[in-house]
Amino acid sequence: MSYIFNALSLFPTQSLSNGNGGREFKVGNVANLEVLWFSKCRLRWSFRKACGFRVKSADNSIDSTGREQVEGGVRVDFSTKALESDKMAGSLHWRINDPPSFVVLVKRNAGSKYAVGFYIALTIVLIVAKQILSKRKIQTRHGSVAELVKRGQLRSNRRGISKLDLKYEDPFNNPQVKIEKNNSKIEMCGKVYRLAPVTLTQEQQLTHLQRRSRAYQWKRPTIFLKEGDLVPPNVDPDTVRWIPANHPFATTATELDENLAQNNVFQKDGVPFRVRAEHEALQKKLEALQSAQNEIGINQNNIHEWERSAERSSKLNEQVEPSASLEKQNDEFSSTGNKNLPDKLDKL
Amino acid sequence: MACRLPTNSFLSASSFVHVSPSSHSLPIASSPTKTLSTASFYRRRPNITRAVLQWNRKPQLAGETPRVVVITSGKGGVGKTTTTANIGLSLARLGFSVVAIDADVGLRNLDLLLGLENRVNYTAVEVINGDCRLDQALVRDKRWPSFELLCISKPRSKLPLSFGSKAITWLVDALRSRTAGHPDFVLIDCPAGIDAGFITAIAPADEAVLVTTPDITALRDADRVTGLLECDGIRDIKMIVNRVRTDLIRGEDMMSVLDVQEMLGLPLLGVIPEDAEVIKSTNRGFPLVLNKPPALAGLAFEQAAWRLVEQDSMTAVMVEEEPKKRGFFSFFGG
Repeated sequence: MSYIFNALSLFPTQSLSNGNGGREFKVGNVANLEVLWFSKCRLRWSFRKACGFRVKSADNSIDSTGREQVEGGVRVDFSTKALESDKMAGSLHWRINDPPSFVVLVKRNAGSKYAVGFYIALTIVLIVAKQILSKRKIQTRHGSVAELVKRGQLRSNRRGISKLDLKYEDPFNNPQVKIEKNNSKIEMCGKVYRLAPVTLTQEQQLTHLQRRSRAYQWKRPTIFLKEGDLVPPNVDPDTVRWIPANHPFATTATELDENLAQNNVFQKDGVPFRVRAEHEALQKKLEALQSAQNEIGINQNNIHEWERSAERSSKLNEQVEPSASLEKQNDEFSSTGNKNLPDKLDKL
Repeated sequence: MACRLPTNSFLSASSFVHVSPSSHSLPIASSPTKTLSTASFYRRRPNITRAVLQWNRKPQLAGETPRVVVITSGKGGVGKTTTTANIGLSLARLGFSVVAIDADVGLRNLDLLLGLENRVNYTAVEVINGDCRLDQALVRDKRWPSFELLCISKPRSKLPLSFGSKAITWLVDALRSRTAGHPDFVLIDCPAGIDAGFITAIAPADEAVLVTTPDITALRDADRVTGLLECDGIRDIKMIVNRVRTDLIRGEDMMSVLDVQEMLGLPLLGVIPEDAEVIKSTNRGFPLVLNKPPALAGLAFEQAAWRLVEQDSMTAVMVEEEPKKRGFFSFFGG
């Protein structure tokens, strides 16, 4: 009988036919089995090392031993002794005498049963591994909303942030694109496409060009005026673009000279124009204050303060690169210097 | 009138070389060397469409550098900025130096798509005002140092339009004459519409890439914009058909690429399929073409960039998605 148990051990899930009083077991020795749950349409079997098995039924009130009965449904506990009943024994004998074809095969070829078991176990392992890999792939996908959190565009501390993978495919050796030898089909990212010719001819292009030239008469606007302005003389009205005064991003008014703007764009090195102009203006202001100080005549303490401020301004001049910190420093200096100095002068 | 292809014609493929006497005699804007080298071969087999994917060589740069290309559409939301980002980085990957100018003054987004939003300290407006130099306003991409970004203005600042068009032309001229060497490509991301931003963006451009989707609203705007570009003297206009969906084309709920081409009469630079990866790449600030493994849309952008370099256009499109033959072990991912 051991071959039956071995054969059964390969199939952890079995179906129970509901004939014969609701129990017909396709097992020889049930010492290694435990039936956990037995309902109308669902059965679960599992192996356990402990002896004995237990049948729990939610709908069928048949109790073979009468040992245990629970609430509305019936809960049946079997021990190995319960199987000694004649009915069950007869059923088992019938099963043993008339084994299923699979069991016969296993019996005939006892050496290959291990191989069959191995392959089935391998299949299960492969399926599980595939599931785990696909799950991991989903978990590590890029471009999710978590990226927005990482970039500071979305506030959420609960979201996980995946690591950026900054490796790139070689553009000259792309494995995702394959062409058939006859070049009639192409495979991209695992999808196969057939190729068809583009039918646009030069004549058609010219026809479209002529159609558009008739349909659209346009001159690029060169003069931008805000609503209410007068159109300058000798100006083609088609080249005038009217900009609303409250336009969100466009303005017709500017304080900047055109030539100056062009020079700024073409400046390749040195201090940018505005930064330099601000520094020069500040320098002039300081010099003016210094000259005023000399004329008035001040005590030594105030002279030291003047020297300190002069040093600051010289440091500012030395800095070539414009930066936000520099501007901040300038503002701070101008605000403090301009506010404090007249007070001190007044005190004098 | 050229013969119509099935309505479910779909995606771009790559650098195609095709001669089909039944459809047309001249491959559109194909490089002459390719046509000559393959002509005798096609004479023998005239009715077969050929695709030559040349992944194993660097594309040959055609035209005078820097090539100033404006990427425009007319309609908003068709993928101008996505196209600029992906083609720009594709060009950088292919070994060319690129400066991308986000000329969308009010609603700039290119920095977000590229993931450079935290590095934009100065813009072109600061350069014009003299707050910084041009080289300080260029944001170099650390992933591909040959790619640089220049934003026109900060979101809340205003662009003085009295010399707006001139200013962007000066910027391009300054890039041409910079000491570090001029870039091979200057890509200008044009804002939607034909307002002041559009006028500013197209000013320095020599060629244009028109991005459209296969829907009638986008096509009308694209046709109008093409007309304006032609009026402005830009004649080298190629189109990219974006967000193409096979399933809708197969069910005849969406115009095919060839239908779009018939309506606009423009050579095809590329056809980009609808791809969920686009949204993901936007979230990441990591353009599609840098994805590993590359997405289908990313590959299509890369091929469009390839054609842009060689001033080539598609002479064949991909038709019908065929089911791939699955292997015996496909259940296990094989």
